[in-house]
Order: sequence, then structure tokens, then C-alpha cells
Amino acid sequence: MAKKKSMKFLVGDNPFHGISHLTQERSRKRTASVGQSEYAAGLVTTALENGAEGFMFSVSETTLSILKEIRKTRKYENLELYAIVPYAYEYVRLATKVGGIPGLAKHMTAQVLRSMNLRAIGNGIKGVITMDPQAFMRTYVLHEISRIRSAAGNNTNLVSVILHEIITEMALAFDLDWFFKSYIEFLQKRGVKPGFETRNFALLVNKFREWDIDFGEVSITSAFNKIGFQMNPSKADCEEALKKVNGADIIAMSILASGYLKPPEAIDYIKTLPNVTGIVVGVSKERHAKETFRLLHDRIEASKQVVSDL
Amino acid sequence: MINESKETFRVAVVGLGKMGLLHASILNVIENVEVVGLCEKSSIIRRLVKKLLKDVKIVDDVVELVDLDLDAIFVTTPIPTHFIIGKTIYTENIAPNFFVEKTLAANYSQAQELCELAGRSKGVNMVGYMKRFSVTFNKAKEVLSQKLIGELSSFKAYAYSSDFAEIDKNSKVSGSRGGVLMDLGSHVADLALWYFGNLEVKMANLLSITNSGSEDEAKVDVVSNGGVEGSFDISWCKRAYRMPEFGFRIVGRVGELTVNDDEVELKRGGKTTKWYRHDLNDHVGFLVGGPEYFREDENFIKSVLTNQHVNCDFCEASKVDSFLERIKTKAE
Repeated sequence: MAKKKSMKFLVGDNPFHGISHLTQERSRKRTASVGQSEYAAGLVTTALENGAEGFMFSVSETTLSILKEIRKTRKYENLELYAIVPYAYEYVRLATKVGGIPGLAKHMTAQVLRSMNLRAIGNGIKGVITMDPQAFMRTYVLHEISRIRSAAGNNTNLVSVILHEIITEMALAFDLDWFFKSYIEFLQKRGVKPGFETRNFALLVNKFREWDIDFGEVSITSAFNKIGFQMNPSKADCEEALKKVNGADIIAMSILASGYLKPPEAIDYIKTLPNVTGIVVGVSKERHAKETFRLLHDRIEASKQVVSDL
Repeated sequence: MINESKETFRVAVVGLGKMGLLHASILNVIENVEVVGLCEKSSIIRRLVKKLLKDVKIVDDVVELVDLDLDAIFVTTPIPTHFIIGKTIYTENIAPNFFVEKTLAANYSQAQELCELAGRSKGVNMVGYMKRFSVTFNKAKEVLSQKLIGELSSFKAYAYSSDFAEIDKNSKVSGSRGGVLMDLGSHVADLALWYFGNLEVKMANLLSITNSGSEDEAKVDVVSNGGVEGSFDISWCKRAYRMPEFGFRIVGRVGELTVNDDEVELKRGGKTTKWYRHDLNDHVGFLVGGPEYFREDENFIKSVLTNQHVNCDFCEASKVDSFLERIKTKAE
């Protein structure tokens, strides 16, 4: 029997943004400490010392500050980064402050210009003149990559840039196959794996197959958990779709269903799924950072050992 | 009201802000539904969307959608424009079936006029009170209908967000969203009317925080026709409410029910039962923004196709406009 592809364990950033999909009250209670970049960076490094191999985060002022804190330690220069863009919540809040989408566009233009990132500026000018969505996408992604490198260091190991679910879902809804292909090609040229976050995994898999997108070229992050929370249209459909994505990097998120499940039962379910190559878990306490990643390591590695022995 | 000989259900969306994009995406995924027209005032957004969606007609005036042979139209523009756009849709026969984001209109008189126009049309009409499609608020409705906490005596309702909690003093930006009462408050007002029936306003206090003319917080006391005493606390200046949150604590003769966007808790006979969203089958055919939006759009389309009643139509929604207007009058 073939060996399973090695599993990556990533620490996620949801608690640092005050996100809990179980209850908002829970996130309010923990935000005070976990929202501080020094404390959050400590949690990330504790997770790294206990089995996590990378950090998956939405690009925001909060996570960029965490990256700066980690960089100061000089201990994790090869830290694998999985960046989700755009951090939709930050842009919605910003739009509220600056006067809707037109105000947001002006704000973003000013930011790109201030960054002095010539390639981004060039793409942006082309985008404005031709109103070319692909040029806007390239401008935006280059700008975000430059923000990450500025915080984490130019030699940082940026493994994947992942399109936030809101963009992925809208592009899926309108069958924008050219947009997905353009994004994939653009990032591949830069040596970064193109990624997609979705809560409609079965639909994305079916569309990618229809459009002949090579699963071996992309990473897909989606919810997988024992109770089917946020697995749409159903747990069974998502499990069935998983069987069709051989070769892809599939990163399972929400494995604990936002704290509804206990880690051992959550991990035991994930172990049964084919083609899952990574797991991302957010932690809000030092103890969680240690125990969760040790447990992931022990339970998943143990099962891999059994598989390779067969 | 749909032409059954046609293969697809043709829809247009008016307003391409956050809500317009959300509804357009969901609608385009529903089987046999196709977004064929979009209407947006901003020329920059129109030009960009034209490049993105080459097969969709994009216009800057709702009248230009008239030749698209639409089955339905979704209006997601700012509240003050609902009345004039709605009137145009009915008088120019732009689409037979009409969905509008909450609230129905900017005041009760406009809402009544839209109800009259809708009444003369044979189509389905609906206002997007999406909290009615949340699994937790639905569970609470079920608990109340089954009278599991007995005869009701009181309730406390809240609607909080941090949208303007960190805004500069004297900023005018909150004005672009109208007031907190129509924006956040309308959701919780609609749920209260859905749960308790008509409400008489006993006391109302509207507070300005972001600037002298703004309406940022509301505190309201009410009583229902059945004698249930209630209060509302509404604010978009609360810190640490990353997402808007709505909730109720409802007291009955034999128990107590608390509900918010995430969970429902029933206390009765010394026993506590709790349901999270996770327990309440929160799956949808396509998830973007929140499961409630998909269920809401699906409800509208199904109602058109099967000629069934929607949740909730213009006349029912106009009760919210009336209630909010009575709050404002009381506060003066």
C-alpha cells in the first residue's frame, strides 16, 4: 500500500482577530490578550515548537505585527507562511469609514502608491486605464506580498497566497474560470503556490474539474470536521469531492468545528479522509498551543506509521 | 408568475455594494436562475463589472432593465432610494416579482404606497429580513410557538455592532447609513414583531454619539397587545462586536429563553437545554456571507415558482416601518 503524502500542521490566526464560529461572546472574552501581537507571536512560536510547521493568516495589520514579533526572535527564518488575501473584514470596516467601495478604491490606490512597489504601481496604472480586472488582481496581490515580505523579511518562505473565501465563492458563482486560471498562472510565475479558501468545497472541485484546472498546481483550504459544520452543501458531498482531488494540497480548517468538538475525536475523523495534506488550527492559550499540536503530531503520525507498515 | 415555457429564471440586481454582490452570487448559483442584468450608479464599478461579467447587461438606470424580460428584480440600494426605485419597477413593469433589502422604505407612508402598488401586481414581493432565516432565531420561534416557556411576560432585545465604535468624533460617515434604528434596529424590531405581534411604544430615547445630528443608539420600552413588556437596546458604537449581533432574553411563566445568532438556550423545569448553530442543520446549497442569505433567496424563488407565501412580504414588513416611525415620534 502506498504511503500517505506527508501531513502539514499549521497554526491559524482566527483567535488573534477575535473570531469564533462557536459564539461571538467567546471571542469577546478572549480577544483582550490574544489580540496583542507579542502574546499572539508567543502562541505561534509555542505551536511551532510543538509540531506546527507553518502559519496560516489573513494579511492584516494584526498578523503583520505578529510576523514582525516572530522575526525579532531570529529563530524561525524558514517559517512556512500561508497568506490569505484579502482580509475581507478589514476592507469592509475600512469601506464603512472611507465612504463605500469608491472610497475604498481611492484608499487602496494611495496605499499602493505609497508602497513604492513599482511592479504593483505599473499593473495598477494598466488596470485603471483599461479597467482590466486581471491587472487589478495582480496589483493587489503584489501589494499584499510586499506587505508580508516587509514584515517577515525578504527571505521569508511564502509557500502559498490563498484567495479569501468571499472572492473564491463569488468567482465560482459567476463561472469566472479565466480569473482562477489567471491567478494560478500569475502566482506560479512568482514561485508561490496559488491557493483558494472555500466553504463550498464540492462546488469548487466540480468546477475545477470542468475547467481542467490541475489540482496538483493549487492548494485548497476548506472546512472538514466530524459534524459537517460549514461543509456545504453537505458533509457527504464534501467527502465525496475529496476523493476526486488526488495531487492537490488540501488543508482542512475548522476541524474542531470552532471548539464544538474535542481534539481527539476531531483528529480521528480527519485521519479517515483521503487526500487531506494539511491541517490548520487556531489556538488562544499557551496550553492549547502545546497540547493541540502534540496531539495532532502523535495521532496522525501514529496512523501514518500503521499505513506504511501495511 | 414565472413564464414556465422559459428554461431559466431571469433576474436583475440593482445596487452593486456588498449586499448586491452577495445576492447576485447566490442567485446565479441557484439551479435554473440566471443573473442577466445589473444596475449601478457608480461608473467605475460599472466599467469594472462589465469586464468581469461579459454576458450580463449593466446599466445605470433601472428603467433600462425593462427589455430584459425579467422574472424578478432584487433591489439592494440604500434605504432612501427604495421607494422611488420600487415605484418605477411597478409603474414601468420592469419585473413582476420584487425583492428589496430591508427596510421596505424610508418611512411608513412610502412603505404603505409600495404595499398598495404590490397589491395591484400579481407578483411575489419580499423584504430581506434575513434573521428570519437563521437557524437559531427559527428555533426560538418554534419554542415560542410550542409555548414551552408558557405565557410570555417580558423580553429584552439587543442589537450591537462596532461599526462606528472607533470613528473620529464629528465624523459624518454614519449618516450615509441612515440611523442605527433602521440599519441595525430593523432586524431586531422585525424579529420582535414576528415573535410577539404588534408592539406599542411606551418610551423611546435616541442618542447621538458620532456627531450632533447622528442617530447612534436607541433605548426603547414597549408592550405587546398581549401584555408582554419589552425593551430594546440598540447601538452601533459598542466595542468588541466584530460582527453585528442580535439577541433576545424572553421570560415566560414557566421558563426562560435566550437566543442570539450563535445559540439558543431554554431553561424550563430546572433543566437547561442549549442548541448551537452546529446542532441545527445549518447547511445550505451555497454559502457566501452567511447561510441565511441563501435560504432567503431560495425562499423568494420557490415562492415565485410555486405561488406560495414568502417570509416576509411587503405588507408584513411595513409593520417594521410603522414601528420604527412610532419610536422616532415618541423620541421627539
